[in-house]
Amino acid sequence: MDRSAAGVSYQRFPRVRIRELKDDYAKFELRDTDASMANALRRVMIAEVPTVAIDLVEIESNSSVLNDEFIAHRLGLIPLTSSGAMGMRFSRDCDACDGDGSCEHCSVEFHLAARATDANKTLEVTSNDLRSTDPKVCPVDQAMAYQQAIGTADPYDTSTASDHRGILIVKLRRGQELRLRAIARKGIAKDHAKWSPAATVTFMYEPDIRINEELMETLTLEEKTSWVESSPTKVFDIDPNTQQVVVVDREAYTYDDEVIKKAEAMGKPGLIEISAKEDSFVFTVETTGAITAYELIINAITVLRQKLDAVRLQEEDGDFTGLDAHLGVA
Amino acid sequence: MVTAAGKSSAATAAGKDGEYATLRELYRPHIESFDYFLDEGLDKMLLSIRPMDISHPSSSDTLRISLEKGHLLPPLRDVRMAKPLYPQECRQARISYSGEFKVDTLFQFNNGAPMRQTFNFGHLPIMLMSKLCHLRGADSRKLIYHGEEATEMGGYFINGGMERLIRILVLQKRNYPMGMVRGAFEKRGPGYTDKAVVIRCVQQDQTSVTVKLYYLQNGSARLGFWLGAREVLLPVGIVLKALIDTSDREIFASLTCCYSDKYERGKGVVSNQLIGERAQIILDEVRALSLLTRTQCLEHIGQYFRSAMEGFEKDDYQTVAEAVLKDYVLVHLQNNHAKFNLLIFMLQKLYALVDQTASPDNPDALQYQEALLPGYLITVFLKDRIQDWLRKSKRLIIEEATKNKSFEFDNSQEIRKFLCKHSTSVGRAIESLIKIGRANSQSMLDLPQREGMSIQAERLNFHRYISHFRSVHRGSAFAKMRTTTVRKLLPESWGFLCPVHTPDGEPCGLLNHMTSACRISSFYHSEGAMKDFEKIKDRLLAELVRGGMIPLSPKMEHTGPPEVLHVHLDGCIVGSIGSAKIEELVNYIRRLKLLAHPATPEDLEVGYVPLSIGGAYPGLYFFTSPARFVRPVKNLVSLPDGEPHIELIGAFEQAFMEIRCPDGGDGGRKESFPATHEEIHPTAMLSVVANLTPWSEHNQSPRNMYQCQMAKQTMGFCGQALKFRTDVKAFHLQTPQSPIVRTATYKKYHMDEFPSGTNAIVAVLSYTGYDMEDAMILNKSAVDRGMFRGDIYQTECIDLSTTRRGSVAEIFAKSSLSRDSSSVIDSDGLPRVGETIVPNEQYYSTYNTLTGAIRPTRLKGTEPAAIDYVAVNGTNSKGSLQKVNIRLRRKRNPIIGDKFSSRHGQKGVCSQLWPDIDMPFSANTGMRPDLIINPHAFPSRMTIAMLLESIAAKSLACLVLVVLTHYLFLAGSLHGNFVDATPFASSVKEGDGNPWKPKSIVDEMGPMLASYGFNYHGVEVLYSGLFGTELTCEIFIGPVYYQRLRHMVSDKFQVRTTGRIDQVTRQPIGGRKHGGGIRFGEMERDALLAHGASYLLHDRLHSCSDYHIADVCSLCGSLLTATVIKSETQMKSKRNMLGVQTVKPPKNLACQACQTNKGMETVAMPYVFRYLAAELAAMNVKLDLRLSNRTESHPQQ
Repeated sequence: MDRSAAGVSYQRFPRVRIRELKDDYAKFELRDTDASMANALRRVMIAEVPTVAIDLVEIESNSSVLNDEFIAHRLGLIPLTSSGAMGMRFSRDCDACDGDGSCEHCSVEFHLAARATDANKTLEVTSNDLRSTDPKVCPVDQAMAYQQAIGTADPYDTSTASDHRGILIVKLRRGQELRLRAIARKGIAKDHAKWSPAATVTFMYEPDIRINEELMETLTLEEKTSWVESSPTKVFDIDPNTQQVVVVDREAYTYDDEVIKKAEAMGKPGLIEISAKEDSFVFTVETTGAITAYELIINAITVLRQKLDAVRLQEEDGDFTGLDAHLGVA
Repeated sequence: MVTAAGKSSAATAAGKDGEYATLRELYRPHIESFDYFLDEGLDKMLLSIRPMDISHPSSSDTLRISLEKGHLLPPLRDVRMAKPLYPQECRQARISYSGEFKVDTLFQFNNGAPMRQTFNFGHLPIMLMSKLCHLRGADSRKLIYHGEEATEMGGYFINGGMERLIRILVLQKRNYPMGMVRGAFEKRGPGYTDKAVVIRCVQQDQTSVTVKLYYLQNGSARLGFWLGAREVLLPVGIVLKALIDTSDREIFASLTCCYSDKYERGKGVVSNQLIGERAQIILDEVRALSLLTRTQCLEHIGQYFRSAMEGFEKDDYQTVAEAVLKDYVLVHLQNNHAKFNLLIFMLQKLYALVDQTASPDNPDALQYQEALLPGYLITVFLKDRIQDWLRKSKRLIIEEATKNKSFEFDNSQEIRKFLCKHSTSVGRAIESLIKIGRANSQSMLDLPQREGMSIQAERLNFHRYISHFRSVHRGSAFAKMRTTTVRKLLPESWGFLCPVHTPDGEPCGLLNHMTSACRISSFYHSEGAMKDFEKIKDRLLAELVRGGMIPLSPKMEHTGPPEVLHVHLDGCIVGSIGSAKIEELVNYIRRLKLLAHPATPEDLEVGYVPLSIGGAYPGLYFFTSPARFVRPVKNLVSLPDGEPHIELIGAFEQAFMEIRCPDGGDGGRKESFPATHEEIHPTAMLSVVANLTPWSEHNQSPRNMYQCQMAKQTMGFCGQALKFRTDVKAFHLQTPQSPIVRTATYKKYHMDEFPSGTNAIVAVLSYTGYDMEDAMILNKSAVDRGMFRGDIYQTECIDLSTTRRGSVAEIFAKSSLSRDSSSVIDSDGLPRVGETIVPNEQYYSTYNTLTGAIRPTRLKGTEPAAIDYVAVNGTNSKGSLQKVNIRLRRKRNPIIGDKFSSRHGQKGVCSQLWPDIDMPFSANTGMRPDLIINPHAFPSRMTIAMLLESIAAKSLACLVLVVLTHYLFLAGSLHGNFVDATPFASSVKEGDGNPWKPKSIVDEMGPMLASYGFNYHGVEVLYSGLFGTELTCEIFIGPVYYQRLRHMVSDKFQVRTTGRIDQVTRQPIGGRKHGGGIRFGEMERDALLAHGASYLLHDRLHSCSDYHIADVCSLCGSLLTATVIKSETQMKSKRNMLGVQTVKPPKNLACQACQTNKGMETVAMPYVFRYLAAELAAMNVKLDLRLSNRTESHPQQ
């Protein structure tokens, strides 16, 4: 790369290697980039990938023990399948309607009607009782049960149909009733955590572990064992044949410095050197089920690109509108 | 995070007797005392009222009115239909839970045949869960059916819909002569010293008379007691002689018997040779008055008292004197011999006190105190009120008889009319005792205070609610005292009053709380049967004699300590025993107590005050009386069955007992005094609330006190029956959790029914500056997901019958003109349930039946509310609604400025709500904290238990997580698997040997954490949420149970730009309610002056306050003389103003004094300055203003 005095290019070409990919779980490596990129990706995945969640609730009748706001809040937190969320409009930008939920571009309507009639049993109203007007958007549990029924479920998924009992909304006693209309809209978790598609997104710096073999050999087997066991996570082990200390799981290391402290306590400083690789990250992504982990990553990259585009546009014409539109400031 | 939410349904618990027995136990003192009032106290009290004799002023007719039997009905909705009235209905309708009270009265005309009449005394409040309450003995199912909590424990009254209870007050221990030294005694008169022996004698009807035996400088003594509004003082010799037929020699011998020249000042010697001289002085005093026989003494007393004693105007002196002795002198004893003996004993004790052979008794020590319980207070006050009623009625009848000659006493109809006149005032007085806590009476009733007898049982949360019933107040008189001696924590209260649970500040040390194990002795056995004190006394006496006591017959033994000690039973000297045999007797009686012998009730107090040098006056005091503080301890005596036995001990005996801690140590005891008893568990010294602080022994003690305060302010579950509650204000947390780390008490008292907080993941780090100075950062996403969300419920009771103007009836109605169906107001004039209303929106309207005007009511305040509930309480005769309850619900989600606290006195204010992405995260779990607090909260406060809680909760959470992910089916069996954080657990000896566990809690939890891959000490490597880089330090993070406190900014913030001003000064008004400002006071002004912030100063104190432009006459310097000249042109322009408004002409002003407008100038000034000028003018002082244009601030002199 040409490094002229006029402008140093810091362009790098990050690489991604996916290690594990399930419907709601992914583990991948991100290399050749720095912490700002990795953290930006994490932040976008948690807070800026759009999903659909119940946002407006119109309660027709509620004689349950929970008050209206409480039920509305609980409904909002139910994850809805949102694969189409990227293509939907934010209701505030929707031209077809005033964001009142009357158009299919920005909202999905749900209905719930439950009434307990059994005297001896409380009726559990769950997310399975929600009736969606759009088959693509429905509570995650419902979708999973459906997929299982038609046999397109994730082959790695070990859950059974009985696990998809739905998310409990409220319990009703005999004579109590809950009837409502709810409108789900697209949103991002910056506004409210209910729109977050991510249960957990975290990354770790890949550790670089160097054992000073020479010094290590000065230890007795007993000392080695106690040193290996000083790490709360299983990072090192002793080879049963050679009786040498080997690294078994680098990524189990939590940067807790326990082994370093232990080495110092044993009077062998420099026994081990551990440093974080500045440009190598291991991501763990878990989703709520609203979108798949794959979608989450891809959508996050898309959103991130859109944001960067907005910055670039602003650079070009000194205009903030692109970014503002995304952030919803305008 | 383990989300073990509190069980919402208590109804699942099987309806059996022992349900919530531990909770009910806490309320027993209240309920038992009231039960006694119902069972026996009322009738005993009525019988003890002396019949009222009225003699006709003109004829010789007499009328005797005596009271016979009281009838108290349970609360009824309709007396004729006998339809029960339930407490819930009372709360709802804001009425009282009370029953009709009637008394059978006997009229006896001229000693003829008595005639029975029944009088209605109005209504008496009925305590919930007492024997007259409809809910007594109800199981949880029935309680829920009647709209109560499943755990409803009663113990309070409902007055006007308010739940109020009578506060337990501390009184002097009954029937025990106390030696006291008090400066105030010297003020009784010349010659009085500061020493006296004081005894509070309690009669059968619970009324008490305090008798004081003062020591005079000349060696004599005076007996003092209060009669009416003054204290009467009698020479003790006269009283001694008047009590029984005795000789001077006998009195002399009785008094001096405690002195023997065999002993010098040694152990147990209480007397010296001076006693003979003093006895001589006492006898000489009587002889000086030439009173030689009993009759003479009685006549002397009678003569002195006849005018003061009511109802004895016609009786001879002897009868009066006997009544005085009966009613005022040592009233707990019926027998004059017993009184004589006790008086001799008191004299001996007094002399011992004077000679400093016995120490004074500390009236502030719990040892010499007992409790004033609701039932007893009501009995005493009711007696006073009925006596007052009799007095008033008598006066009315006599007045009528003197006025009206034809009025005859045999006209029972007329008599009845007069008696009925004041009868309902009796019920009303008791109601007001409950309602405002005032016991109005002419005499003090021997009570420590007249006001503040009752308090409201606030159900803010369960901690607060329980504490009300366990609180013991020392008396409001002490609150004003400058000295702090009464507030001190004394060792005598160990095990009875909680050393931790007292508020800081004004009531500190005066408002105490009973420990969780503390009980109060009562008239009932633990199984509920009434105690028969006569039988107990007889049997106990027989056992005492068997144990070696020499019974008293009828005069005192003529020896005294240290050879022989007196044996007292409830303030009566019953015998004596040689000091050598006394230990044996005490052990014998204690053994009987353990064996539940019928002679010894379980709460019998065996107060053995041993011989000592200059210590407490020795003796053996037995108490069976009610209202004593008692508590269970283990007796170490091994009985045949080998089981350790629980014995109830009292505060009096505890001071002389050897009770060891169960840690296996000897507590520094000498071998000659081995421990005879052992504490059951060290936590027995803590109150219920203090017991709930996990590992409180690891905290600095004031922090535990703060926690006790804050636990009572948390916003939690105030009740499960919230739907039926009509509290004026109720707080409710939407998503409470059961704490992971909890003490044994938590389960014992069913705190899961009323959880009060959330297990929040707390990170201890200073992350930006937003957690400085006890501020804390909350995770907005966690709040979004429901953490700490809550509501405030406010109930408004609208009663049109009380608000009506004149006689015009108002009803609820909606305007017929309004066809607006979207309005909140329904067709009945009341709001629709579930509707949200915004400030200033109409939500109910009333209709005036006369004018036909519709008057809507708008929502006050600045925040929206939801209509939670509307209830109709009653209709008028025409069937239209008159009284409704409207409950509003207001959202209170956490916002910046709300207050939170952990259970360790660590409170903080939310300073930022940050989204998940900005919070630091853990790389391996991805976990973000819910809450960030600053590490500086720990070093100076030393709340180690909070750190322990974090570690312990974390390791348990890991365990649960592992089990949940790997063995999903086991999840159910995890229930109840919480960390036990009972304080002092390591001080309890476990099994044999091994006095304490070698491991600390960290050593227990650390390996557990390490085994799950966490750091041994609970720290973790966190990464900045903003930059994704590793934080420099490892961060301590783990779940801590956090409480949300009820102080919320939404209820407190105050802001204003312009608004209402004061009429007089034109300055902004104060007060949040009226939209006023916050005072910018002198000290704030000083600060601005010091900073030289003159512009700001001018802005605050002038521009934004009472800015005013005044017209000043520069010629005469007056501020007040400016007047508007109504010139011709102005008049004209005024006429023109009827048309189009033209430019306002400049005011034409002139000085009234100078009669010219030449010198008129305008000056900006604060309006108060003008006001000052006006005020001064009113006092004929002229304020002269000199105006100048010069810029220098100081004019040249």
